[in-house]
Amino acid sequence: MPPATYHTPSFAEEISNEMYATGTRGLNCCIQCATCSAACPAVAFMDHTPRRLIGMINAGLRDDVLNSNTFWTCASCYSCSEHCPKGIRPSELMYALKRYSIWKNRYRGDLVGPEFSRLFVKTIMRTGKSYEPGYAPAFIFEGGLRGMLREMQFGMKLLAKGRIPLLPSRIMRVESFRRMLSRIVPLDGIA
Amino acid sequence: MKRYAYFPGCSAETVSASYHLSAVEAGTRLGVEFEEIEDWNCCGATPYTNIDELLAHALCARNLAIAEREHLDVVAPCSACFKNLYHTNACLRAEPDLADHMNYALEADALRFEGTIAVRHLIHVFVEDVGLEAVRRKVTHPLTGVRVAPYYGCQLVRPDRHDGYDAAAPRYFEDLLAATGATPVDFPYRLRCCGASLMVANRPAALAMVRDLLRSAVQAQADVIATTCPLCQLNLEAYQGDVNREFGTEYRVPVLYFTQLMGLAMGIGRKKLGIGRELIPPTKVLECVARKAAAAEAPKTAEVSHP
Amino acid sequence: MTQRKRLMIIDDDPDFVAAIRATLDEAGYETEVAHNPRDGFAALKARPHDLLLLDLMMGRGAEGVMVARKVRKDPALKHLPILILTGIRQQIAYLFPGQGVDRDFVSLSELLEKPVKPELLLERVGALLAGAATAAPGVS
Repeated sequence: MPPATYHTPSFAEEISNEMYATGTRGLNCCIQCATCSAACPAVAFMDHTPRRLIGMINAGLRDDVLNSNTFWTCASCYSCSEHCPKGIRPSELMYALKRYSIWKNRYRGDLVGPEFSRLFVKTIMRTGKSYEPGYAPAFIFEGGLRGMLREMQFGMKLLAKGRIPLLPSRIMRVESFRRMLSRIVPLDGIA
Repeated sequence: MKRYAYFPGCSAETVSASYHLSAVEAGTRLGVEFEEIEDWNCCGATPYTNIDELLAHALCARNLAIAEREHLDVVAPCSACFKNLYHTNACLRAEPDLADHMNYALEADALRFEGTIAVRHLIHVFVEDVGLEAVRRKVTHPLTGVRVAPYYGCQLVRPDRHDGYDAAAPRYFEDLLAATGATPVDFPYRLRCCGASLMVANRPAALAMVRDLLRSAVQAQADVIATTCPLCQLNLEAYQGDVNREFGTEYRVPVLYFTQLMGLAMGIGRKKLGIGRELIPPTKVLECVARKAAAAEAPKTAEVSHP
Repeated sequence: MTQRKRLMIIDDDPDFVAAIRATLDEAGYETEVAHNPRDGFAALKARPHDLLLLDLMMGRGAEGVMVARKVRKDPALKHLPILILTGIRQQIAYLFPGQGVDRDFVSLSELLEKPVKPELLLERVGALLAGAATAAPGVS
């Protein structure tokens, strides 16, 4: 029997597969029109514009894509998805790349986004609610002592107006809430 | 009395208590009753989707299933919560396998999603269900001459909405403000994201986005920015000092919830609307209301002195 | 010559799939691959298979759990042996470092954690196919 030859998916196909549920026809239908980049309010802070990032994915530049800050700079405002003439939904691509980089343990350690997401998700797993100004735990590592002092001044202003709680709130049925989540992600330690 | 299952969202208990207060007050005045969803949980914001979108759906599905037991449509005052709850409701209705999977998870909390209710944003309830005419009839202190920038933000108008809204060129916020007697200004950045989800993850980007919005509002000569979301309100108001330091600007633009403006125009007391908790006082708005109150008092005084 | 056993692989990782496919091909199995849950389930419905090799983290999240539950509920597929091949502990260690995998989410046939040694893979695949043949004769 001759050895079979199979088609191995390209990087663009691999990422398109991760986006299967968004209904996109795949990243390779991108025409590089840059409507996504023009629609993006955070584009100036991305090391590659959304258009360029899609071009890089289609060119198979996996490492350059994973080293990019672009998807962690996405504000999830969906402006790009609203305007893309090819129905690519770049905002969903940014989510897919965040998940992909986390699952592969290839997220950039120097960016705040991954760590902030981790803290946020863990807080809600513990209590069912977020502690506002939800950002509080993240401030500590966000800007070191300087950042913390700056945030404390900001926090004091809100505190003076009665806009910061002294204790985090939590839901009543935390145990069954966690059991629910453990049915989605089957790991021992959740419930 | 119209009744809704009310999803306050995490910030309603804290930074945005005044939104919560003014929503309930304005609702009561207009015959709308908000029944808080029992033991509701966080909607997951964006971080859950960053890691596992099915987990994000589970968080929203739990809230929807609790509301469904009461057979009430869900109303969310926070645009980000609204977007998440709306999205999950739409996805679960469209994909039976996903709904089945969520129901498998919800069993652990003795709940079930059937897809029988709708998810609404607070402003849509006032504009559509209550109606502008009903609002107009209740206005006793029209905000005449107050120039308001209607800030829709991003999550309110996006994404995947197939229920008749014009996401590209909505007008209902302007119309609602006009119903209170205020002047809605032409605010070019009204649909642009404020960057709230980036304030921690990428502060320079978020501050620049706040700056862009403030500049647009100031160029439109707005006396106040009206918001429909606690994250936008906090982001636009509380970080103005940081924006000014970062960019050498001198912005000082008050940012109120649209429900506070509605409440003031309907003659509801400031305290009941949570007014006084702002970091930047909405002086022009309050002066206008005070003038209207004084004018309302004046004829009575005149009558008393000349019986 | 007895009919070759047909294996369905649903996994989003092209490199992992290429590796196990080479191993399984060499052992004489016929393999079919889908890289997302939607295409994978459609393939299971379109043609008979003798075994499903299933990843957990794909697409939106732990979608393998969804696929496995759906297979077990499907009258035509419910006896299909499922071998879960997952790296979920590493993939989500970011959130839950050191937690073990809960194997009870569905009546699974077997669960192996990646990386999987070729010998172990072939041994488990062989055992599951043999077990299926004795447990449900006539069910392909």
